[in-house]
Amino acid sequence: MNSVQLFDIIFYVLAATVLASASIVVFSRNIVYAAFSLLFTLFGVAGLYVLLNADFLAITQLMVYVGGILVLILFGVMLTNKVVSVDIKTGTLQVVPAAILVVLTAGILCSIILATHWLGAGTTDFLVVKTTAPKIGEALITTHMLLFEVASVVLLVAIIGAAMIARREKTQ
Amino acid sequence: MLAQILFNLAFIKPEIALTMTLCAAILTDLLYKNRTGLVAGIVLGGFAAAAIGLATQAGLSVSVFNGALAIDPFSNFFKMVILACSSFVVLFSLGSNEVSAMKSRQGEYYALLSAMALGMFLMVSATDLLVMYVTLELSSLTSYILSGSMKAQKNSSEASLKYLLYGAFSSGVMLYGISLIYGLTGSLNIFTINTVLAHGGASSPAVLIAGIFLLVGFGYKISAVPFHFWTPDVYEGAPTTITAFLSVASKAAGFGMLMRAFKVVFIDTGALGTPGAWSLLHGIDAQSILIVLSILTMTLGNLVALWQDNVKRLLAYSSIAHAGYMLLGLVVLGNDGFSATMLYFVIYMFMNLGAFYVVILVSNNTGNETMESYKGLGARSPFLAVGMAIFLVSLTGLPPTAGFIGKLYIFAALINAKMVALAIVGVLNSVVSLYYYARVFRNMFLRESTGETSLIPISMPTYALLLILLVPTILLGLYFGPLVQFAQYSVAMFGIK
Repeated sequence: MNSVQLFDIIFYVLAATVLASASIVVFSRNIVYAAFSLLFTLFGVAGLYVLLNADFLAITQLMVYVGGILVLILFGVMLTNKVVSVDIKTGTLQVVPAAILVVLTAGILCSIILATHWLGAGTTDFLVVKTTAPKIGEALITTHMLLFEVASVVLLVAIIGAAMIARREKTQ
Repeated sequence: MLAQILFNLAFIKPEIALTMTLCAAILTDLLYKNRTGLVAGIVLGGFAAAAIGLATQAGLSVSVFNGALAIDPFSNFFKMVILACSSFVVLFSLGSNEVSAMKSRQGEYYALLSAMALGMFLMVSATDLLVMYVTLELSSLTSYILSGSMKAQKNSSEASLKYLLYGAFSSGVMLYGISLIYGLTGSLNIFTINTVLAHGGASSPAVLIAGIFLLVGFGYKISAVPFHFWTPDVYEGAPTTITAFLSVASKAAGFGMLMRAFKVVFIDTGALGTPGAWSLLHGIDAQSILIVLSILTMTLGNLVALWQDNVKRLLAYSSIAHAGYMLLGLVVLGNDGFSATMLYFVIYMFMNLGAFYVVILVSNNTGNETMESYKGLGARSPFLAVGMAIFLVSLTGLPPTAGFIGKLYIFAALINAKMVALAIVGVLNSVVSLYYYARVFRNMFLRESTGETSLIPISMPTYALLLILLVPTILLGLYFGPLVQFAQYSVAMFGIK
């Protein structure tokens, strides 16, 4: 078995995991099931990153999404009173137009993705391991210095906003 | 590299001033409890510092931070509009009952206004798709928070949540478009993208789809139809000061970014043509998409506005319609169209902020924004009613107000470009808009007040502020030469002849 076939097999297995678990997240009426299948979605995406030689991105995905956000969601679900037993109020509206739109969009996107020659497609060999972390670190504080700083302002604003909205109103 | 970064810092003085204002406002709010006036003063001082920074950059045309930002007359023009609008909103907020009802959250409110101004400053300068995305997120994120800042009101939280959901979806689609463009061209810098596209480095259907996805992000920011669904609910639920801010500054930032991206990415730099006119790259019909978008935007905005009974909602749909008129300036594909849109923005700032300021003052007194509460306003406060009437006449685009001049230049640019049909659609739309603006006149002057009949007290600063908005709305309709020249000068973007 050559490396190209192996790459394809791993890719399809990971993609199937992501798609299957993501549809459970969306369609499940039980929020605990949804939260746990999100775990597989996030792991699958991390796997895709590893496959594409994006090691730093994969580790970040694991630490931030699986380790941070997902655990936070699970704690939120478990600590919230009664949320486990209550069905989430979901309804489906406009099924036919939505289905037509989704099929159309998916069809157009797939045909375009297949027809287009993508830059750099098929040039990475996943068996050659190169670490990307130093390059990313260097780019962040040189080429993308401004973005790095703007992102810090975005985070500052998000923290202030969260505190402002969540803070309990003092009754005098 | 370090020397270069330090050198580049000299070109973003206004942005640095705004960032420091944000930090200073937060720290002041932490140190001194309930000193709202002080925080607002610091924010205003920061805006003044940013204005001085802007003035020192007049006439510059440089690219800084490895092509992340362009400091040029075009971005300076939009930054001035954004800064003026932000300062007006701070002044409005000081006299708004809705803002003073926020009690201990007012400090954050003013601090976030400067953060939003920072995001919008960077948006109009951005020449890199990733920078565009992150700065768009910065300004959107602050708008979600500010829309929901009246926690006691259910509407406000609803507005914030709806805005967040629409915003998250739109920016997700936009990000997907950016990733497609990166996959096609291997670059995020809009100048490089243009070069690659011009050399046929990308097949057109994929570019078209990626472009449409990008347009979802831009369209959401300028509330163009069909990406406008959040607008009425958010404009109605948010504090009126923020509604005014979103309808002018946020739209200006979105337009600045859209205009730069549209022109730089799709211009055919090799084509020879008459000076001031430019042609698009072969194979991508971005012009037709914008034509459809602008017709839909103004027609839907105006028609739906006819049925509104809440003045804030009415002005929301009217602002959608105005985005449509301003898009007309883009489809001309020429510098005169761009300068007409930019001129329109200055005028639109005065008239739209003025209309919202009257709404704030009336709701301070009546506690709501329904059409009912405008009945008999002519008798209760002649000054407010006449002011509102002038702003609305200007929004309709009738002479001798500034709104007429704004529309005149846009329609003239269309006719010069031989797009007469489109100009007729625009004029017909203005006629429709007269009907719903006239409903407000009728309530103000021809109907008796149903409830309260006492005079509405107006303080001296309020008089002054309203006059500052009122005088340009009339004056720019009579003496507009210098402003037109300034707009024509400011069309110049970095990197494009």
